[in-house]
Amino acid sequence: MSKYMIDKFMHSVEMSNAGVEAYVADTAGFVDAWIAASGRTDVPTGDRIFTAEERDAFVARDYETLYRLGGHPYLLWHFTEAVYTQEFNDNFGWRDLVEKYRAAVAPHGVPDFIP
Amino acid sequence: MAKLVMAAVTPHNPLLWRAMRDPMPDDLAAVRKNFSTIRDTIRELEVDVAVVVGTDHIRQFFFDNSPAFIIGKAESYHGTYENEVRTFGMDYAELQGHRELSDEISGRTVLPENIDFAVSYEWRLDHGFVIPLQYVIPDLDIPIVPIHVNAALPPMPSPRRFAALGDHLRDTIERWDSDARVALLTSGHMATDVGGPKQFAGSPDPVFDAEAVGWMRDGDLEAAIHGCRFDRIMAAGNITYQYVNAITALAAMNSAPADLAEATESRFASSPFFMWRAA
Repeated sequence: MSKYMIDKFMHSVEMSNAGVEAYVADTAGFVDAWIAASGRTDVPTGDRIFTAEERDAFVARDYETLYRLGGHPYLLWHFTEAVYTQEFNDNFGWRDLVEKYRAAVAPHGVPDFIP
Repeated sequence: MAKLVMAAVTPHNPLLWRAMRDPMPDDLAAVRKNFSTIRDTIRELEVDVAVVVGTDHIRQFFFDNSPAFIIGKAESYHGTYENEVRTFGMDYAELQGHRELSDEISGRTVLPENIDFAVSYEWRLDHGFVIPLQYVIPDLDIPIVPIHVNAALPPMPSPRRFAALGDHLRDTIERWDSDARVALLTSGHMATDVGGPKQFAGSPDPVFDAEAVGWMRDGDLEAAIHGCRFDRIMAAGNITYQYVNAITALAAMNSAPADLAEATESRFASSPFFMWRAA
């Protein structure tokens, strides 16, 4: 498990519009390309890659799992907000996302988010 | 010698940027009034330069390189980021630096003995700096010295180190061979949670808020330091550590009771407003 890499991924995606749009457009492809380019080549140590669970959580846009695994809450919320804002419609908006997110993370309390 | 004429603590909640617009919602009227009070005081006291102590929200300083204290040494700074424009509707800004005072505070060749500053000659300031300045110095026409104190990525400096920073800023300004009138502006939160189960549901810890207002109102530095120990403050919300910036202001003002001390309620988590005029 690498909380640092979870945070690094969220940070790198959320900081730019291009990052968010690319992740939303082809989530699995984006995640695997990012792992290949960023997780493995420049940081060779074994604890600096995603586990299968972490990779799958990003592919599924599964904020509950990322929260449970110790993603930094501030980064995680803004990452989640940026991604799901792309899918808001008349029946699901910002306040709905807030409440859905709250219901998902609340059972997990406050995980240790320090890498 | 230069003079530290005032200190203030404000919120930097970026959600205010869209919400606090005319016609002013009733629940935000008091927030705007308190910002206006501080803005007017800056004008009245003819502030020439502002030292701005705040927190970068994991924009420029990430876990790959996270300084405890970093001071800006640039002639100017860009304000806000693409993600903050997208998420909060903020406007890009340009802010003028004050290199001479930066050098006084951090040293030019050798760091001061009490604070080990990192330095930055190229720093894009995030909403933690830009939002308060756009409310209290709306024309952005007063040069600034930005200082980031890490309150987001553990391990963070202890509250007593925030106080040491305040002491250092006061002592440095008072020794500075200048006739400048200096304000210390800081920002932060009362009890606040973002990304945790308590977010966006009002104050997650009104008991903490009441105590934290009292420390500033009473000028009780030791109580503030004790009350801001890591476990207690994190229980009040996962980004409440940014309240500790207020301790820097309290220490800089020699632990004087604040002239304004309020946790202003609104639809958001309560907003800190503290202000001191120099005696």
